[in-house]
Amino acid sequence: MASGGDPKWQKDAADQNFDYMFKLLIIGNSSVGKTSFLFRYADDSFTSAFVSTVGIDFKVKTVFRHDKRVKLQIWDTAGQERYRTITTAYYRGAMGFILMYDVTNEDSFNSVQDWVTQIKTYSWDNAQVILVGNKCDMEDQRVISFERGRQLADQLGVEFFETSAKENVNVKAVFERLVDIICDKMSESLDADPTLVGGGQKGQRLTDQPQGTPNANCNC
Amino acid sequence: MDFQNRNNTANKFVCPSDRQLALRAKLKAGWSSSKTSEPLRPEEQEAIISVIRRNEEIEVAERQRVGRLVERVEKIKQHAVERGPNCCRLCGDTFGILRPQRILCEDCRQSVCTKCSVDINIRYHTSERSREIWLCRICSETREMWKKSGAWFFKGLPKYDMPRSASATPIPNPGPGSMAGDTRAVQSCHATPTRPARVKKLTIRVNDSSSSSSGHSEPEDEVDTGVGIGVGVVGGGMAKGIASTRLQREDSFRLRAYGSIRSFIDGGERKLSNSFFFNRQQSQRPSECPEYDSVSMSKLRRESSFLRRGSVSSSWSISDSSGSGSNNSGNSQTQSQYQQHQQQLQQHCRDPLLGWLEIAISYREAFHSLDCTMVRARDLPAMDAAGLADPYCKLNIITPEAHTKYTRWQRTKTVHKTRNPEFNETLQFVGVEPEELGNSLIYVALFDDDKYGHDFLGAAKVCLSTVHSTSQYRISVPLGVEDQYSNAAEMAQNWPNGKMLLSLCYNTKRRALVVNVKQCINLMAMDNNGSSDPFVKIQLKPDAHKNKKHKTSVKWRTLNPIYNEEFYFEASPHDLNKEMLILTVWDKDLGKSNDFLGSLQLGAQSKGERLQQWLDCIRLPDHFHEKWHCLAPDNPAH
Repeated sequence: MASGGDPKWQKDAADQNFDYMFKLLIIGNSSVGKTSFLFRYADDSFTSAFVSTVGIDFKVKTVFRHDKRVKLQIWDTAGQERYRTITTAYYRGAMGFILMYDVTNEDSFNSVQDWVTQIKTYSWDNAQVILVGNKCDMEDQRVISFERGRQLADQLGVEFFETSAKENVNVKAVFERLVDIICDKMSESLDADPTLVGGGQKGQRLTDQPQGTPNANCNC
Repeated sequence: MDFQNRNNTANKFVCPSDRQLALRAKLKAGWSSSKTSEPLRPEEQEAIISVIRRNEEIEVAERQRVGRLVERVEKIKQHAVERGPNCCRLCGDTFGILRPQRILCEDCRQSVCTKCSVDINIRYHTSERSREIWLCRICSETREMWKKSGAWFFKGLPKYDMPRSASATPIPNPGPGSMAGDTRAVQSCHATPTRPARVKKLTIRVNDSSSSSSGHSEPEDEVDTGVGIGVGVVGGGMAKGIASTRLQREDSFRLRAYGSIRSFIDGGERKLSNSFFFNRQQSQRPSECPEYDSVSMSKLRRESSFLRRGSVSSSWSISDSSGSGSNNSGNSQTQSQYQQHQQQLQQHCRDPLLGWLEIAISYREAFHSLDCTMVRARDLPAMDAAGLADPYCKLNIITPEAHTKYTRWQRTKTVHKTRNPEFNETLQFVGVEPEELGNSLIYVALFDDDKYGHDFLGAAKVCLSTVHSTSQYRISVPLGVEDQYSNAAEMAQNWPNGKMLLSLCYNTKRRALVVNVKQCINLMAMDNNGSSDPFVKIQLKPDAHKNKKHKTSVKWRTLNPIYNEEFYFEASPHDLNKEMLILTVWDKDLGKSNDFLGSLQLGAQSKGERLQQWLDCIRLPDHFHEKWHCLAPDNPAH
């Protein structure tokens, strides 16, 4: 999964010379490691001290992927209940979601289904999701096995990774995979509906959306 | 969402049972519990607000980036030729055996040639498959725009800011005087006027005039001067800045006088209109002394004379109300006022007079008809090198609300080659009620007839309250400078070939005439799409230095092109007095001969503003002189 042959070209947020801009959102229960995951990817740093995120935060990182410069605006959300109304307001603009749980925390794994319901409620239909089990380096305290995570991801129809923000395991691979999935979705959407680009009308919006198959396994 | 239900047999994630729901309610867990969240603390709100502010900076930059993408696609679309199914959509080449091959665009299904099409290789990174399609350049750029702006995700273009136009008129270098520099800066700010904008501006000024607010009208006066309606005086040698200042001051005085007089008229004093008429003449001649004391002294003197006029009017009112006033005493009273008015004018006239106009007005009450006879004019300004003019008059009635009563101005015939024309022409206004005479004016504007533009010569206002049914009212009035009515009279004329903004400068270092073609407006439409592809040819004739002809670039599909292109003609100031600058506007037609759109000539043989700009260019070298000119329909053979 890791592709080490790619050229490393990263620029700061002030750079305007990029091709695509993707907005990503990291969601999950409190203290599963969302902020540490983002800091490992954006700043390549890690701190063991736990400071709860207040509401919302974001970091910007420009990567070079498949001959294209992609600017990522990665939003970090607070997992606590009291910030829910603030964080769900930013679901609308996100193209990709990183749904994170803690392999040493049974509650965070059980809440994955609830977070999926949140994504369906507040985001666009064509948003992409990746399920991530964090803290895989703590083997002695693991309560969620790799197979259980893989099984849930297959059931939800999303990709699955086990990562460690502390040991920098699979952190870059998660973002690269999410960028690839969004790029493919971008090409498919332009092929599926050529009238969007052929007509060339500015600000034209489709009124009817294709109805996806409803998930029969929802909790309601 | 890519969620799929692949494993229906899993029992772990079924809907919770009633006991589980009861247990969740007891423990206050799950989504059904509505916990009252505590409000955010001030430092938490501050942290969230700082994140929101950081995000807004990114969104502003993103909107500008999307605007640049949209502008790029729009520019490519504007260059498309679209000449039919057998021609390339973009460049117009015809397909055939020996011609470029036809390629069908995947998105828009139009035919393009090989060099206007793009081979797109769409790769899918997750499934390792790819496919190739052919797109025209427009659809290829549109696809890239939709990818880069995120419109593919949100099913529509997000908000964007179009980049600022790079073709804005640069501000010319200010001269040594700050007054002239400010005037030119004002001109540059309004160097791209369109006709509806000017009409709207005049409407605003009329409203300001009726409200007698002179403070608001002064900036608009300067703006109006900057548009290019200069003073028609030729040979006076006045700088544009001084003329602009004089225009401001005169308008300010006139508006104040008009406001104070309207308060008298609104009181119902009909006889005081005589004072209104005479005071209008005085207010057109404010003192130009630079000292403040002299200006205020002159103002005080004018107010005292106004009071004296009031007493004379009240005396006439008494004699009129007594009923014993005979016709002879009325005539002597009018004559006495006229002589006093003449004396007042001789005392206060310090400006160069624009001439005199003799007019006879009579009113036929049975037909509600006002007959205005333009008898003659005297001592008009000279408009050409021979010191002559081709004057004609335009008339309208000004209502008490400071509006023109008729949309269409009436006009006399042109009397050629004279500064003392004998018009002897009667123009008739029908539909005039007797009650309107007490509060209305006749406004007369004189223009110089020329095929390149009608220059302003002078204007006069005559009060109608003295017009009676029994006799003809005959008066000789001085001609004043431009105001909003003369501008309205000028814009009522039809000018089909459009206008050109031209800037001239004689560069002493290079010993060359610099011609800056800035822009044209309201050109004629010569193409089938209701537009033209105009460009300008520039030539100097007869040329002692054998300069070559010059051409501007072609501005495609527009009737209001903006050029801002400079050309140099080697010449000496002595030669310029004998030479003529000839500019012609053409519509570019590919494969055919170009269509003629209009022409303009400037030189020593020109008239009016053309002659003034030419002479200013020679007398004041190293300064740019900018003016609007009308284009003529005839083509000078060259």
